[in-house]
Amino acid sequence: MTSASQPLASRNAAVPLRPGLLEVDTDGTGHLLGSRCPSCGAFFFPQRHVCSRCLTEELEATPLSPRGTVYTCTVIHQAAPGFEVPYALGYVDLPEGVRVLGQIAGVEPDAVRIGMEVELSLEPFGEDDQGRELIGYRFRPAPEERR
Amino acid sequence: MSNVYVIGVGMTPFGKHPERNATDLGAEAALAAIHDAGIEPRQIEAAYCGHVFQGMAMGQRVLAHIGLAGIPLTNVENVCSSGAVAIREASLAIRAGEHGVVLAFGTEHLTSRFRGALTPDPDDVEAAVGLTMPGIYALRARRYFEDFGVSREQLALVPVKNKGNAALNPFAQFQEPVTVEQVLESRPIAEPLNLLDCSPVTDGAAAAILASAAAVRRLGKRGAIRLAASALRTGTVDPEPTPMTFEPLTDATAQDAYERAGIAPEDVNLAEVHDCFSIAEALRVEGLGLFPVGEYLTAVERGDASIGGRLPVNPSGGLLGKGHPLGATGVAQVVELVRQLRGEAGERQVEGAKVGLAHCRGGKAAGIEGAACTVQVLTR
Repeated sequence: MTSASQPLASRNAAVPLRPGLLEVDTDGTGHLLGSRCPSCGAFFFPQRHVCSRCLTEELEATPLSPRGTVYTCTVIHQAAPGFEVPYALGYVDLPEGVRVLGQIAGVEPDAVRIGMEVELSLEPFGEDDQGRELIGYRFRPAPEERR
Repeated sequence: MSNVYVIGVGMTPFGKHPERNATDLGAEAALAAIHDAGIEPRQIEAAYCGHVFQGMAMGQRVLAHIGLAGIPLTNVENVCSSGAVAIREASLAIRAGEHGVVLAFGTEHLTSRFRGALTPDPDDVEAAVGLTMPGIYALRARRYFEDFGVSREQLALVPVKNKGNAALNPFAQFQEPVTVEQVLESRPIAEPLNLLDCSPVTDGAAAAILASAAAVRRLGKRGAIRLAASALRTGTVDPEPTPMTFEPLTDATAQDAYERAGIAPEDVNLAEVHDCFSIAEALRVEGLGLFPVGEYLTAVERGDASIGGRLPVNPSGGLLGKGHPLGATGVAQVVELVRQLRGEAGERQVEGAKVGLAHCRGGKAAGIEGAACTVQVLTR
């Protein structure tokens, strides 16, 4: 077992939870990957092949800001197999104008609220069927929310 | 192009049927519709079957049971709108002049495929980080409370109304009314939604026989109910996030249906809408333009959406009360509207109903508001 404090980049054969979802930097932190339209500037998450606004095909993979605001949230009490309940889930609005769903950890699930500032955290998310460690993400309250 | 009419409907009781399967249920519903139409089975020229989780050749298994194997059949999967899309496809075949009499049915044996909360497809990134179907609606409910200042207690009035209607419907899964206290005290599923805010896991099937104007004349069917519109849209990818308390997908699909049927929202006398969760009913009717945005729960409190109110919503009991066997749901809504428009709805009859609307939407994938949405208008 690897611990959550070990830098993600140092682990062997760790792969993103879903292809093209995120990128791990050399310091073990990282970012989600979205698409940016070079013609009209629209951002998309998850990544798309074609811009839904102007139909430009050559979208660029782009790192998304690691910080955002909780648009809405819930506490899940009944989940799919493999998820330990309860956990907080929220839609987080990022400055690029994309809305990302994620678990919100590092705080009591009931304490998560609309308007809370949160930061991205790349974290272990179980293993795939080949035994490779999966790297997923959660949001955690931003430093000023932890006072 | 021909107008399209519904000349027969039928359904099984909705509920938990551990001793049965989707084939058997589908056959029962199809035969009930054939008998209701009073036609010979061989007069059916083609069939469409809606289902979501029942595996390959679902519709063919039903046809084999009812002596109709051999006719053209198309299986339709469009998440919770599958049954409604089976009806739409049947209507398109009739409008195109290809067929005169078509069977559309939906069937689902969900208790053998799922326990507890449904989730989006596991390939989807939102499912991978822990989203459930109740979770989607819980997220929308929390924001709806915030934006419109309504209370948890007001939201509980939706399952109270619908389970109360279901108690008047012998085909419904729930046969007992519930109280606001029972809704609030049922166990939490995804806050603020509790168990009684969620549609149940249901087995069941429903069927309708559609016919062209020429076939209606040939068969001598007086008083057939007209399918005046059957609209379908899919959720869009928006370059900017939109409020999750309003449904552009429902709005756009409804506009298509109103235009095709030549009606306005004010003309609708009763509506069967996709209340997969309590909050969903508010989002649906507001998206359909049937109630002002943010005001539906207050209207429910006044009794406006009850049988006998200004615009009864889900007199059948809806998904919350009647049950939600995914592929059968959209067809069962049409079964209810036909019975209401014929004046055959018994204790839950909406008096004088002339225009009925059915709305389905379902499914979720990351970055889109909803997967598939249908709005159908039936008139007499």
